[in-house]
Amino acid sequence: MIRYIIKRLLYLIPVILCVSFLVFALMDLTPGSIVDSMIPSDATPEMKQAILEQYDMDKPMLYRYAKYMYHFVQGDLGKSDISGESILNMYLTRLPNTLLLAVTSLFIAALLAIPMGIRAARHAGTLTDTLTTVVTLIGMSMPAFWLGLILLFIFSFQLRWFPAGGNMGFVSYILPSVCNGLNMMAGTTRQTRSAMLEVLNADFLRTARAKGVPERRVIWKHALGNAMIPILTTLGGNLSTAMAGSVVIESVFAWPGVGRLTAEAIMSRDTKLACGAVIMTTILYVVMMLLIDLAYAFVDPRIKARYVRAKKVRRRAVS
Amino acid sequence: MFGKKKKMNTQDQVVLSEQHDSDYVLEVSDLVVHYELENETVEAVNGISLRLKKGETIGLVGETGAGKSSTALAILNMVPDPPGVIKQGTILVNGHDMLHLKREELEKVRGKDISIIFQDPMTSLNPVMTVGDQIAESVMLHEPVNKAEAMERAKEMLELVGIPGERAGEYPHQFSGGMKQRVVIAIALSCNPKCLLADEPTTALDVTIQAQVLDMMNDLKNRLGTSLVMITHDLGVIAAICDTVAVMYAGKIVEYGTLEDIFNHTMHPYTEGLFNSLPRINQKGSKLIPIPGLMPDPTKLPVGCAFEPRCKYATAACREKPVENRQVSDTHTVLCCAYEDPDFMLDRRRKVTDE
Repeated sequence: MIRYIIKRLLYLIPVILCVSFLVFALMDLTPGSIVDSMIPSDATPEMKQAILEQYDMDKPMLYRYAKYMYHFVQGDLGKSDISGESILNMYLTRLPNTLLLAVTSLFIAALLAIPMGIRAARHAGTLTDTLTTVVTLIGMSMPAFWLGLILLFIFSFQLRWFPAGGNMGFVSYILPSVCNGLNMMAGTTRQTRSAMLEVLNADFLRTARAKGVPERRVIWKHALGNAMIPILTTLGGNLSTAMAGSVVIESVFAWPGVGRLTAEAIMSRDTKLACGAVIMTTILYVVMMLLIDLAYAFVDPRIKARYVRAKKVRRRAVS
Repeated sequence: MFGKKKKMNTQDQVVLSEQHDSDYVLEVSDLVVHYELENETVEAVNGISLRLKKGETIGLVGETGAGKSSTALAILNMVPDPPGVIKQGTILVNGHDMLHLKREELEKVRGKDISIIFQDPMTSLNPVMTVGDQIAESVMLHEPVNKAEAMERAKEMLELVGIPGERAGEYPHQFSGGMKQRVVIAIALSCNPKCLLADEPTTALDVTIQAQVLDMMNDLKNRLGTSLVMITHDLGVIAAICDTVAVMYAGKIVEYGTLEDIFNHTMHPYTEGLFNSLPRINQKGSKLIPIPGLMPDPTKLPVGCAFEPRCKYATAACREKPVENRQVSDTHTVLCCAYEDPDFMLDRRRKVTDE
C-alpha cells in the first residue's frame, strides 16, 4: 500500500513539469506582458531596458522558466510580480474558502443525487425515472455561469436573501454551493442510477430479503454498499475539481478562492503567480484522486485484497 | 433501530405459535404463479399443493423450467413482481398466511420460520460484508441479542457447517464455492427455521463437494429438526435424503408419493422417463434412454396432458381433456389419464413384475 502511494506521488513530478511549462509557454505566447503597463510612454530606452531586465523579459522564455523551476525545487514559489507578496501565502489564505465551498457543494450534490439515483433505479422505466432523467439533463446542460447569474438575479437582487458576492460567513456559502452542487448532482445521479441498476438484480439481495432484512436496509446497506465504487468515483472527481477551485463559479460569485486568484493572475499577466497557483492546484488534485483510490479499499474488501496480494507476490518474487 | 423490532418480534412469535395448531409446518394449496410479460403469459406454476410435517423432507424433482424455483420463491412470497404474479392459492408457513401478510410481518417470518438456500453460492453472498456479519445480521433481525452475541452465534453456526469460527471476519471472496455454500446454509439455519427450502443447493458445486454438502445438510436437518423442501433435478439426491417426493412437470405435480411409492411403484410415464435417463452402474453397456422432445412452451400450455407429446403411452384422449389427479393409495397420487384403463402398467413396473 505504501509503495503504491509513493509511486502515485512520484507521478506528480512529470505532471508538475508539464503543467508549469504549459502555463509559462501559454503566458508567453499571448500578446502583452507584465512590463507593458509598467513602462511609461515617455520612458527612455535605458529605463525601458532596466525594467525589462528587472523582470528578465529581455531573456528567452526558457530562461525564465528554468529560473522559476530552480527556485521551485528548493521549495520557493517566489513572490508575486505585482503585489510583491509571497505566492504561497496568497494561495494558502485563499484555499480555505475554496475547500469549504467544495465540501458544502459536495454535500448538497450527494444528499440530492444518491436518493434520487436510487429512486430512479428502483422505478426504472416509470415516470419517476423519466422525471429524474429530465432533471439531471437540465442540471447537466445548464452552464454554471448561467445558473449562477440566474440564482444571483433571483435570490440576491430580487429577493435580497443572500449577499451577491464575497465571503461573509454562512449565508454567503448558500448560493455558490447550490450552484456548484446542482452541477455535480446531475452526473452523480446518473451514475448512482446505473450503478444501482446493476446491483438491484443481484442474487445476494435476494438472499438478504430471504433472511428477512427490511427492504430499506436491503437497498441502503446491501445494494448501495455494492454500488458505491462508481458513485465514489464521480463524487470524488467532482470534489477534486471543486477543490481545485472553479474559476467560473468563483468569478460569478466574486468568491475569494484559489480559482479566482488564478484567474486574476492570468488577467494581470502575473506569470509567476499563475504558475504557482496552478502547481499548487495540481498537487492538491493529484493527492485528492489518490485519496479516493485509497478509499476504494475501504469500500470494497476485494480491492484491499488486491493491494495486499500484490505485496505478497512481490515479496515472493524477491525471496 | 433493531431494539424496537426485536421486542415486537418475540411477542408476535408467542401469539402466532399459540394460534398455530396444525401438524404441518408448510402447507401449499392450489398455487398458481404466472409471469405476465408484455405480450405473453408464462404459466410457471399451475396448481400445486404440498404439505410438509415437522422434520420431514420433501423432494421437488423435475427438469429446468418445471416451476420448481418459482414454487420456492412463491412460498417466501418473493416472486419478482413485475412480471411475476401469484394468481391464486394459499401458503401457510408455520401458520402464517404468506400471501396476506403485510411486508413488515413477512420480513419477520422470512429467515425466522422459513429460509432458503439458493442455487448459486458464488453470487448469493454480499461481497462487501464479512460472512460473520451476514450470518449475524439474520440473528439480530430475529432474536433479541446484541451485536456481540449475534457474532458469537455466527461463529457457532460457522463451526456447525464445518468452517472454523475465526474465519467469520473474512469476506466471501476468500472462500471457495463449497465453503460459500456452507456459509449460505449457515445463514439459512442461523435462526433455527421450522422449514428450509433448498433450491438446487448442490448444482453449482463439483461432485466431490456435492456429497459433503448433502451429508452435512442431512445431518443438520436431523439434529435441528428442520423440515426441508429439497428442490433438485437429481434423483440421487432425492433418494439420499427425502421422505416424500413430488415430481413436477410444466408447473404441475404429476406424481406425488413417498420415496418408496415413487422409486418402487412408479406410476407416471414422466417419472419413468427420469429413471430411464439415469446411468446405471451395475448394468455395463446399457444405454441411457432420454425422454424425447422438450418441455412444452410455458406460454402455450395444452388443454390436455402437458407431457402427452413426449409420452410413449399417449393416446388421443390425453390431448383432449384436462387430466384429473388420481389417488392411488393413501400416500400416492398420479396425474395421468392412462390409468382410466385398469390394466395399464408402465414398462418399468412390468419389468419388475416379470422378474
